[in-house]
Amino acid sequence: MSPDSKQDFAYAFLSILFEGAPFILLGTLMSGFIDVYLPAGTMDRFLPRSKYRAVLTAGLLGAVFPVCECAVVPVIRRLMKKGLPVSCALTYMLAAPIVNPITALSTWKAFQGQDAAMMTSSRLLLGYLIAVGVGFIVLKLPLASVLKARLVESLEKEEAAHDHHHDHDGCCGHDRADEGGQKLVAAFRSAMKDFVDVAVYFAIGVTITALFNTGIAPGAQWLDSLATHQAAAPAALMGLAFILSLCSTSDAFIAATLAKFTWGAKLAFLVFGPMMDVKLLFLYQTVLSRRFIFWLAVGLFFAIGGISIFWQQLILESK
Amino acid sequence: MKPRPRRILFSIAVLLWSAVLLYFYGSGRMNKYLAPDFRLIAFCGGLGLAVLALFNLLTCGQSANCGHDHGDEEHDHESGDMHPLAALLLMMLPVALSVAWTKDEYSVSALSRKGLYDTPSADSSRFLSSAMPTITPEEIGKTHPKSAGGFYQFSLLDLFFATGDRELQTAIDGLKVETEGRWMDEKVRNPNGSRKRLYRLFLTCCAADSKAIPIVLDFGKMPPEFPENGWVKVSGIMRFPLEDGELQPVLVADLAEASKPPDEESFRRNP
Repeated sequence: MSPDSKQDFAYAFLSILFEGAPFILLGTLMSGFIDVYLPAGTMDRFLPRSKYRAVLTAGLLGAVFPVCECAVVPVIRRLMKKGLPVSCALTYMLAAPIVNPITALSTWKAFQGQDAAMMTSSRLLLGYLIAVGVGFIVLKLPLASVLKARLVESLEKEEAAHDHHHDHDGCCGHDRADEGGQKLVAAFRSAMKDFVDVAVYFAIGVTITALFNTGIAPGAQWLDSLATHQAAAPAALMGLAFILSLCSTSDAFIAATLAKFTWGAKLAFLVFGPMMDVKLLFLYQTVLSRRFIFWLAVGLFFAIGGISIFWQQLILESK
Repeated sequence: MKPRPRRILFSIAVLLWSAVLLYFYGSGRMNKYLAPDFRLIAFCGGLGLAVLALFNLLTCGQSANCGHDHGDEEHDHESGDMHPLAALLLMMLPVALSVAWTKDEYSVSALSRKGLYDTPSADSSRFLSSAMPTITPEEIGKTHPKSAGGFYQFSLLDLFFATGDRELQTAIDGLKVETEGRWMDEKVRNPNGSRKRLYRLFLTCCAADSKAIPIVLDFGKMPPEFPENGWVKVSGIMRFPLEDGELQPVLVADLAEASKPPDEESFRRNP
């Protein structure tokens, strides 16, 4: 690396780290305290009994618990251990960074003068539909094909422990007396463990993002030549969103400057990015199996790309 | 690895992140990395990480009870996805290298990727102006003070986005203005070598999301010498000529002098 490249990498790396680390901390503190203090099965009570209605509801939880994509991964990992169905957890994971008031506000503000209301509502609706669609598919899949083996094992242990306890005394076994603050110690330990798990992958993701963001990694020049192509433009911007790994609360400000690109391409950028990017690729590995991540990425790419192109055509025809 | 040394290692890694966040905030260098809205969040994040790490460090030998029964299985809330030493290395190495390498700014090469030599298009001007309060021609006299030399003091962003705002452009075109920014060579449309470029970095959220906002300086003769990326205050007459089919913000410069760097990189409406 040349001295200039080192300087550029370091500047971009630290700026993304400073922006993202507090949100990861927030997520992992929540996850640590959920781990120790939230009785198993609590989340189930918030959701409708019907599996499909539960997935539909989970897609809207981001409006009540707004979490960005960095913070949501440790939270859902912990929630799954607490009994949240995997389909609902993944729906929440994909929808929450988009279907929340902060992202809606930033998108609306960034697209002022560029049909902001249409872009904002389209982004939220498409984000919700895609997340719910993934949730419905996950309902049909065996746990082992979705989650990483270690997590499946851990969930099975949790379940076995519950069954064991119920068999013996009919009590859930949670929330026994707090033995001299020991639960607090356990909560902080759990939070730190989650923080380290996520921070490692975040650091790898930010490293790669910083290399692309500053042009140290090759391959950004060809993007402009694809800007007005109906199919290639969304694909190119989804590729860009994947590489840049921007936070969903700020990515609209970048999308709005991509003046040469089609409206549908910008929509694809804004929906695909918070669901799948380099940083998330590493974060997802703390929860999901690699095979599932691969097919999720492929599915999201084609579904979001296809719907964005169709949506754009529909809007153009209606004008 | 046994739980106690693992907790100590993790606490050290978290403390390092905390120290970096708190140092950059405390030293004011954070201003170069994050937009104002995010700085306090970063500071709180640094404090939170310190609390998390120190609490775990001080209680690393204490027994803990999570309150739930795992049956006959081993109780485990702490073992991670990878070896603790590998996790420690991956968390610390890129941060340590970045702290050692950073100069709190981009090189010219990275700035070029971030729009240093782009022509301000109507769309980008509109986007940037949406992040600022509105300004009308009638307000210029009231909101923009004059320098001792009789030049209206303008933020560089105003001059840049006036290129995409017909009304503001008409009001500013031909006006005697003073603005400040970073000094850079002009690499396009500069056959006589009489031009330079003045830019500032506009942070929407963080430096990685930033965009270079440039205007062209035309001295009509050989420009004065200033260090590349040095802060310079320039006075002259603002013009918006059509060059190669696109409007360009050009300050026909009368005077240029070195100036102190401002407190923060991101823009405010008035100087």
